[in-house]
Amino acid sequence: MKNEWLITFRSVTYAQRGERILQRGKIPCRLQRTPKHLTERGCGYCLQIRGLDAPEAVMALRRERLDYGKLYALKEDGSTEERVL
Amino acid sequence: MIYLDNGATSFPKPYEVCRAMCRALSTCTSPGRGGYPAAMEAGRVVFSTRERAAELFDCDAEQVVFTSSCTHGLNIAIRTLVRPGTRVVISGFEHNAVTRVLHLLGAEVTVAGRKLFDPADTLQEFEKALKAGAKVAIFTHVSNVFGYILPVEQIAALCRKYKVPFVIDAAQSAGMIPVSLKKLGADFIAMPGHKGLLGPQGTGILLCGRIPSALMAGGTGSESRNPEMPAFLPDRAEPGTLNVPGIAGLGAGIQYVQRQGVDAILAREQEMVRRCVPMLERLGYRVFAGENQSGTVSFVPKIDCEEFAEKLAGRGIAVRAGLHCAPLAHQSAGTLESGTVRISFGHDTPIWKIKEIEREFERI
Repeated sequence: MKNEWLITFRSVTYAQRGERILQRGKIPCRLQRTPKHLTERGCGYCLQIRGLDAPEAVMALRRERLDYGKLYALKEDGSTEERVL
Repeated sequence: MIYLDNGATSFPKPYEVCRAMCRALSTCTSPGRGGYPAAMEAGRVVFSTRERAAELFDCDAEQVVFTSSCTHGLNIAIRTLVRPGTRVVISGFEHNAVTRVLHLLGAEVTVAGRKLFDPADTLQEFEKALKAGAKVAIFTHVSNVFGYILPVEQIAALCRKYKVPFVIDAAQSAGMIPVSLKKLGADFIAMPGHKGLLGPQGTGILLCGRIPSALMAGGTGSESRNPEMPAFLPDRAEPGTLNVPGIAGLGAGIQYVQRQGVDAILAREQEMVRRCVPMLERLGYRVFAGENQSGTVSFVPKIDCEEFAEKLAGRGIAVRAGLHCAPLAHQSAGTLESGTVRISFGHDTPIWKIKEIEREFERI
């Protein structure tokens, strides 16, 4: 396990709002394009975070009532696995 | 030049606005269209303007939709709420950006409150129309011709009481008078980016209290496999490539306004009007002034308005003459035939210029 996670968003604006929320909570993250196989409707952005920060990040987004798509754990081989917290 | 036409567009723009635009032109591509640095930088610039606007207008960042003008925003808002035959109440001081759209859509329009600088009359007439069954209300915050500040908080409260959706045209108030989407509870508030917000021409903002209809359809950089426009904001109302340099300049303009303080800007502009009105009256012009007035004043000179403005232009003073795209407002004030000359002060018109203005006016 790479111990990196992805939180997907439906648009760049939502992802940027998420980035701002995590920055305020001092949770390191990186805004990037969502890998193609994770976008059900095509084109999206996600935040890459460390696995240890995942529960805290999800809580922060929920507290701010920001809609996010799904949470994925990144595996060593590059594949992803959906997780629910 | 003494520039007194800030009601048309603010000028000159702060240096920071020009700098932000130049920077965006050389560092940004298109937001939401890629993960490479120039696209991400464009995204950062656009989002930071969205956040600034959200802070100034008391709403969430995604409720800020970038448009090409206030008119564009009003079209989205009105076309979302109005269908042919919809009963709509508007104030007696609306701009063509509202009345022409309603005319085009075939709305059934009631005009409420035609007395200048009389908020009690405005409120009474609005309540009458809402009671009579108006289904949508649209009203300007400030008359672009006369500077009359309408009692928008109270009209908004009436609309909420009668559960009637409403749109506010903040063309002459955004950046000069506090505006809160949350407190007003408006369905939409439209504004230009290039007037009180000091951004460049070709920019505007629509604050959305609800999801608008898609006036245009196209690429948004999101949900690309979906044949429909996305159902969420701001993407639903922002198809196509955004005006990134313009939005960068708008962000710098908003930052400038926040630094100066909206209340301070209004107080300053109103002081200019207070000093200007007695001067215009002394010269024997018919001046339209009242209690609830912004930094704009209209008057009818002794000669033709256009001729008067042309003579002023020859003396280095820029004002606007005619109907100001608001024939309804002139009809309300009884100046439809003559038109008026409009002076609209800006955030940086020096108070000492009043004397110079007076001297030039006396020579005409």
